[in-house]
Amino acid sequence: MFCAINPDLDHLQDGQFDFHFSAKDNLTTVGLPTRAGSRILEGYRPAFDAHAVEAMRQAGGLLLGKTNMDEFGFGTFSTNSAFGVPRNPFDLDRSCGGSSGGAACATAVLDGHVALGVSTGGSISCPAAFCGVMGLTPTYGRVSRHGLLDYGNSLDKVGLISRRAADLEMHLRNIAGPDPRDPTSCAQPPMGKSAPVRSIAVPKDALEGVSDEVSRSFQDALDRLRDDLGLKVETVETPSFRFAMPSYYVLGCSEASTNLARYCGLRYGVQSEEITEHFDKYFSRIRSENFGREAKRRILLGTFARMVGFRDRYYMKALQVRELIIQEYQRVFQDHDLLLTPAMPFTAPRFDAIDDMDILEVYKADYLTIPPNISGMPHLSMPCGYAQGMPVGMQFVANHWQEGLLFDIAQRWEEAFRLRAPEVTA
Amino acid sequence: MRIGLEVHVQLPTRSKLFCSCPTSAQEPNTAVCPTCLGMPGSRPSMNRAAMEMGLMLAKMLGCRIPERTWFSRKTYFYPDLAKHFQITQYDTPVGEHGVYKFQGKDIRIRRVHLEEDPGKIKRVGRAGEESSLIDYNRSGIPLVEIVTEPDISSPAEARQFLSDLLTEIRHVIDLPEDGERSVRADCNISVGHERVEVKNVTGLKNVERALTFEAVRQTKLLRAGKKVERETRRFDEERKVTLAARKKEFEEDYGYIGEPDLGIFNIGDMARALALKETPLQTAERFQRDYGLNPQMSRQLVQTSMDLARLFEHMAEKVPVADVLPWITGTISSLWSELESLDDEMRDAMTGLVASCSRGEMNDQECQMRLRALITGEELTLLQSGAEELEGTIEDYLDRNPAVMEDYRKNEKSANRVIGEVMKASGGKYSSSQVVEAVRKAMESRR
Ligand SMILES: [Zn+2]
Repeated sequence: MFCAINPDLDHLQDGQFDFHFSAKDNLTTVGLPTRAGSRILEGYRPAFDAHAVEAMRQAGGLLLGKTNMDEFGFGTFSTNSAFGVPRNPFDLDRSCGGSSGGAACATAVLDGHVALGVSTGGSISCPAAFCGVMGLTPTYGRVSRHGLLDYGNSLDKVGLISRRAADLEMHLRNIAGPDPRDPTSCAQPPMGKSAPVRSIAVPKDALEGVSDEVSRSFQDALDRLRDDLGLKVETVETPSFRFAMPSYYVLGCSEASTNLARYCGLRYGVQSEEITEHFDKYFSRIRSENFGREAKRRILLGTFARMVGFRDRYYMKALQVRELIIQEYQRVFQDHDLLLTPAMPFTAPRFDAIDDMDILEVYKADYLTIPPNISGMPHLSMPCGYAQGMPVGMQFVANHWQEGLLFDIAQRWEEAFRLRAPEVTA
Repeated sequence: MRIGLEVHVQLPTRSKLFCSCPTSAQEPNTAVCPTCLGMPGSRPSMNRAAMEMGLMLAKMLGCRIPERTWFSRKTYFYPDLAKHFQITQYDTPVGEHGVYKFQGKDIRIRRVHLEEDPGKIKRVGRAGEESSLIDYNRSGIPLVEIVTEPDISSPAEARQFLSDLLTEIRHVIDLPEDGERSVRADCNISVGHERVEVKNVTGLKNVERALTFEAVRQTKLLRAGKKVERETRRFDEERKVTLAARKKEFEEDYGYIGEPDLGIFNIGDMARALALKETPLQTAERFQRDYGLNPQMSRQLVQTSMDLARLFEHMAEKVPVADVLPWITGTISSLWSELESLDDEMRDAMTGLVASCSRGEMNDQECQMRLRALITGEELTLLQSGAEELEGTIEDYLDRNPAVMEDYRKNEKSANRVIGEVMKASGGKYSSSQVVEAVRKAMESRR
């Protein structure tokens, strides 16, 4: 689950730190490699800490190490890393989810741990659900992205994974706030306390395409929310959500293809001592040899979507869809505090099943996590049950900047639901 | 012949467009940071001063300025481009649809936008075994790009247009004098129907040369009944020719998308709040209107210095223009570079001299000498050390013409003859009042 361990761990004294945390490998860290799961960044030593890492250190946290991930965040199962695959602590033959797979895994097995994760299209909700922990993705712009190796700048959010609701709230307060090094973080309102959650909206087609076991757990959870927590649960229509997935891949890949252009073996990461080829050839060679298959696929998809003639048809249209989805959410939030769906349509799949999935099936697995991500809505993935020993997750979504509602529901559900820890044998 | 220009000018900000690195470093790669090196995890933040300068130029060029603007990524692979995308403006330039009045005609301005400069590649070593070094000091320096419609009709006109434009720009955003060397232009020219673009030409002279070469080349082709190919060429400064560029180099699709990290800027209010100074050439036009100056003279005035132009206006309020002009365009203009500073005191002193000369209280010679002394800070040497010499000249004259004294004893007016003669003999070296005084003194003592 870790792809780099803090070299100072051996000579630390007890009581020096208030808590321990980890950082996803796409957050820069002074003194530890930062490779975002990619071979092309082999050897890169960042000159600065990412804002979130810096804030956690300042709050008294000990950085244990860097958690493994799909290369640059491109994946749903953490199987696209150049540095091994983290395995699910509930069943080692299954995936941790992705792309913050290592982060969720660390949280599931280390008591009191809090992991910094990053979500672009569901990379916190998914692994949190598969590993039976809580994953908080804040509003876009809530946490400075300074020091984050970009996937899609208009989509990326730095968030938290933990087993305790109180930790999520406390540490979000540590890492949130305006930071001039990321101008998109400077427009945020302060984080306030919110009134308690009273009503929850569930999309009519929330269970379409969802496995039976996840459906059952989710239905049970709905009953308990209604009966035990006394919440009003109502069905709503969200017809435009089905456009979220294609739009997400167009936007995410378009931005990613520009972000990844800088990795070419010239200024950091993998490089030759002396470059004797024409630069075009050299860049192509370094990129061909060191990017993984999925990274290459998304670069090609994204480049294609940006080209003249396609730009209007894909990229510009995807931007319009994003607005449409934001409006749809805001319509729902006029009458409801939160929107709820399962987090993933199935429980953590076995690695052999993943090998058999075609790429479209993999992309489709994110259809529940993509709507809140593309619209920048804060969301929280929480365990809502167990099916054949594997955790099932549900995902609450709140309106922009309303993280307070998520903390309220997290605390109340935590009291009502008994979280299981995996049995880990060394 | 139709010529359109895309002019790039570096903006004279202290720090770069998206980071706080200085823009003035000399040693290669000393003014760099994670942002302008494109290090993973770094991101841009906007330099407000650059935005203001961009808006100022858009305003100066009479452009329509949008209420909101954002930046885009122009992606291409080149070693001097740190992120392999350039942050520039694509959908919403700071200005569009402007017009620039130039020698009585309108040059339409298609757009004015801001962007970051890439780094610089330097080739070193002997031919055949050269290597390339990259200096990222320039990476992220703010540029403004001004794109004209193809309204220019000759290479010479293009150069004159650029020169005028730079005069204006220099004044509006305080561009240093050597700013002109850093001016780069992409030149579009069509003699027939097909357009050819000559990329990245540096300096005014080269713009004219490149366009002239291209005009001749295209004309020859057309005369020979051949077709001009629509293409991109580059200018070889040493051989002074344009050459076809490698196709791939320029005919890329840049795949523009928005730059999400900078967000959207509401620039409407900012633009409205910016007060635009009168530009030099506008001042020149006003001088033609208000003071009847001829076009050449008024342009020369503002191009020498806007302070000189303002001095002219100050003098013209108090002294007839016809009496001011010779001084302004003559003595004062030629000594202008020696003037240390033009404060109010200096301005009033100069105006006083010109005014008293205009009133006939001193002759031209004296006025000139006094102005020179004032401007250069030198002593009024000729006037003062000349006092004895003047006395000598007068005594000499009186000795040689004893009859004068006799006349004088009868009629004091005969002193005027002496004054006239002495003035003539000394070649106007002394002021009339000085001569008058000295002559009276000498004649009184002989009486
Ligand atoms: Zn910099």
